[in-house]
Amino acid sequence: MTWRRAGLYAALVVTSVAMLVPFFWTLSTSLKRPEDVFAPGQWLIPKPLSLQGYRDVFTLLPFPRYFMNSVIVTVAIVALNVVFDTAAAYAFAKLRFPGRSVIFGLLLLTLMIPMQVNLIPLYRLMVWFHGFLPWFGIDTLAGIVAPSAVQVFGIFLMRQYFAAIPDSIIEAARLDGAGELTLLRRVVLPISLPGVATLTIFTALSAWNDFLWPLLVSSSDASRTLPVGLALLSRKNTVNWADTMAGAVVTAIPMILAFVLLQRRFIEGLAAGAVKDT
Amino acid sequence: MRHTAKTLLAIVAVGSVVALAACSGSSSETTPDGKPHGEVVVWDYYGSATPLKPAIADFEKQYPDVTVKYEALDYETMQDKFSVAVSSGAGPDLATLDMTWLPTYAANGTLQDLSQISGGNLNGKPISDQYSQGALDAMTYDDHYIAAMYDFDAYALYYRKDILDQEGIAVPKTWDDLLTASQRMAEDTNGDGKPDKYAFQLLPDTFHYAQLLFQNGGSILDESGDQAAFNSTAGVSALDYMKQLLDSGGSIYWGESQGDSTGLPGIKDERIGMFINGPYMMGVLKDGAKDQSGDWAVAPAPYSQQPGSYLGGTGLVIPTGAKNPTAAWALAQFLLQPKQQALVYTAAGAAPATTAALEQPALRKPDPYFGGQRPFPIFLKAMSTATHFPYVATWPDIDTAITDAVNSVLLGKASAQDALDQAAQTADGKLGG
Amino acid sequence: MADATASEVRLPPQPRAARSGRLPRGRPDRLRRKEAAVGFLLVLPVLITTTLFFFGPMVFSLYWSFTNYNGLTAPQWVGLQNYADLLGDPLFLTACRNTLVFALVTMSIGPALGLGSALLLNRPLRGRALFRGAYFVPVTTSLIVVATIWKMLLNDQGLVNQILSVFSIPGHDWLTDPSTALFAVCAASIWQGFGFETVIFLAALQTVPRDLLEAAEVDGAGVLRRFWHISLPALRPTILFVSVVGVIGAFQVFDQVFVMTQGGPLESTTTVVYYLVNRFRALDLGHASATAYLLVVVLAVASAAQMRLGRSKP
Repeated sequence: MTWRRAGLYAALVVTSVAMLVPFFWTLSTSLKRPEDVFAPGQWLIPKPLSLQGYRDVFTLLPFPRYFMNSVIVTVAIVALNVVFDTAAAYAFAKLRFPGRSVIFGLLLLTLMIPMQVNLIPLYRLMVWFHGFLPWFGIDTLAGIVAPSAVQVFGIFLMRQYFAAIPDSIIEAARLDGAGELTLLRRVVLPISLPGVATLTIFTALSAWNDFLWPLLVSSSDASRTLPVGLALLSRKNTVNWADTMAGAVVTAIPMILAFVLLQRRFIEGLAAGAVKDT
Repeated sequence: MRHTAKTLLAIVAVGSVVALAACSGSSSETTPDGKPHGEVVVWDYYGSATPLKPAIADFEKQYPDVTVKYEALDYETMQDKFSVAVSSGAGPDLATLDMTWLPTYAANGTLQDLSQISGGNLNGKPISDQYSQGALDAMTYDDHYIAAMYDFDAYALYYRKDILDQEGIAVPKTWDDLLTASQRMAEDTNGDGKPDKYAFQLLPDTFHYAQLLFQNGGSILDESGDQAAFNSTAGVSALDYMKQLLDSGGSIYWGESQGDSTGLPGIKDERIGMFINGPYMMGVLKDGAKDQSGDWAVAPAPYSQQPGSYLGGTGLVIPTGAKNPTAAWALAQFLLQPKQQALVYTAAGAAPATTAALEQPALRKPDPYFGGQRPFPIFLKAMSTATHFPYVATWPDIDTAITDAVNSVLLGKASAQDALDQAAQTADGKLGG
Repeated sequence: MADATASEVRLPPQPRAARSGRLPRGRPDRLRRKEAAVGFLLVLPVLITTTLFFFGPMVFSLYWSFTNYNGLTAPQWVGLQNYADLLGDPLFLTACRNTLVFALVTMSIGPALGLGSALLLNRPLRGRALFRGAYFVPVTTSLIVVATIWKMLLNDQGLVNQILSVFSIPGHDWLTDPSTALFAVCAASIWQGFGFETVIFLAALQTVPRDLLEAAEVDGAGVLRRFWHISLPALRPTILFVSVVGVIGAFQVFDQVFVMTQGGPLESTTTVVYYLVNRFRALDLGHASATAYLLVVVLAVASAAQMRLGRSKP
């Protein structure tokens, strides 16, 4: 048993390292002088250490502005998705209404269409909106958020999650006279917190790392998000790897922290509490 | 469901209006007296090393009625953003575009006629007097100017002078010289049969193949411009020569997978001892390989029958739908004055394009990085014999077909004749359709 | 907080037979109508936004797929010509083949790895949070950075070859050889993506009725039996989700290819969306849109098939 356990840990350690090597490389490159990035013999350990990459990220760009924009966009997208995706998912999973599967099928189509072909019509729509709504459309944070405000990915994820909840629980609550919204809030959501946490993590990730749409929509610092702003560090023809990787590290850290916090709070909290209670 | 249908209809209606508005491209700020005023939106892809941005304050001082709205973009994604915005009537007034992107844009009517806007003059003198003939050709589409060249790209040979001297090898002047020089210079230190020190960097792309093709007296398309001509004898022997360079053991195949098209990783660890590339590599070397200062030198690219190179660079363009072309052209002219052009070299490490700028003493100083050599005149000479890529709408497809042919020969999958014939067939299909 | 609200819920014991998924018949009409109304209400915000930002634009791109259009001059109707062109273009067919290989390879390995690691990481282990974090790090990093790193790892002098040389296995230029490039791209994608699946399965594992697992353990059922008879059925909706979303994502692979290989060498990694983006960049919006809708048709059929399979009993 102990041998098996040791083997298990060994496997976990080895795979974890394999998962982390590229991140270490990113970190180490970000700490090199630009001229040392490809210098032989310092693949993982930079020598001398240099903070030039980070200095560039913080001084060449209005970093706090980009960071705040990214935070606003991400928080808005996550909040909207958690509310609307969950609500719609509940309806698709547990409520019966005419056309339910047809509508759901149509929604799935939006996942299947490569976004590149919709860019031009969507962009034109945003130009048109901006013509009479100065706070919306191109070059606004709202314009970045809008197309991601509701994501079929999230609805699908939550629908499948709700589908695993036994109908008998819901029926029991209905018999007690609970309305559907109360039911969703008081009965379904609490036992679905791991699902909500997953939805939060993935929506946050995609919003935080999204590049193409924010790039098209933003044209000034007022609406540039972090990934779009960081791309400006590269030059024509050449890439400054130290700067780019410093940017990548700075972008990844908030997401890694968010994951660590969320998985503690939801996944483990629930595993320890709710289900065992019964 | 009815709701959905209604919304859908509304969207269709809205979209059509937008599409129409985008197509009309009316100029809202026409200038009755011709004096530039109002706002100019500039899109610049140079990134952190921009030569445009520092010039703008001076421009605004000189033109107090004009406000410049400067927008930084990155080179990699500029094309996508430019295409989407211009087609939606929300493009800039002035933009920097890579000359290799121009064929697509020019052929699709994305760029305004600069001959008309400028009246043929740049800063008071005819445009035709201020550029080399090759540059003028590259700026012209359908008998009018579509771009004003801002920096140029034409190829010369970079070599590790210290190694060449040490081995007593003469600077290669012909294809045969380059073959023997690369063979003598390259070393195979780990004995795997492939050189891993001081090799010639063989870039398997259309740019480098085209250079050999031009030097052999060939051309990419025939005179009429609607038939491929690169599978001529000149083209086949150019590709055979590339293969020979690789097989002789003096060259290193530097494909996409190397991770950095400049070759900097290979330059740093000395796998690369010679390469053929444009003036921007001077800046790359100085930034990225400080420790090799004094080791490098530049010479005209070796050739077979006649000197030749692809000609590219950056063009300043005024896209269709620009709201303020007059002020945009005023800014373009300002940026093309010798003083501002010098920034292309000092800020971006690239080569300015106007003849006057290239005459400046600042660009003709001995360069300590290149051991006191004057590298600029060499690139200038390269430009004078360089040829731009053909201005056909389907150029990206033809480019891909040629790149594939080059790679299939270098990877030993096909003979030069077969590969080029096949590429020519693809190209003809694209040109016909 | 989670504990407090959750413990209010009295989960009744779950006989497996009750989980049939169909609501009991014979409820009063009034209640049914109310249920339908609430259902519509909950779905409405989603319908409005997707109509505005997806279906609206799709009307245009669908129309363009039947036209010759460069984004500037008025579209010219060409009927089904664009679709015919695509099916006659050898490069498009190569792209289809490559995409299919990519989808098959990544979808047969990725989800299995994800489920395996989720099961592993769901066990009470010391430092579990740390391991979970490690598996999740690649997911947090943007695809472009990941692909760039892999390119560096896989090239001639890269870490992969250096490790192989320690075991005296001859190195290989993975991304330059047309016969290995696509698999190298697959490997990078699996590496980046399976953390995503791990997290989803981890969350889903929390819904597996723990009392059933414990009861089965008391009855002496082994790990495999418990997985097969209790965990797996509870995971089925999630497995369906992962496979449908995974197949859609695999068929749309672009970023990795764009960064790692640019579709080469010799078109061995040109995928359908890479092909589409090239058409888009050439301002050939007709063919770009037609490519997209051919892909949509294929994906719609694939997803419908998956859904049907997912609904039927194993």
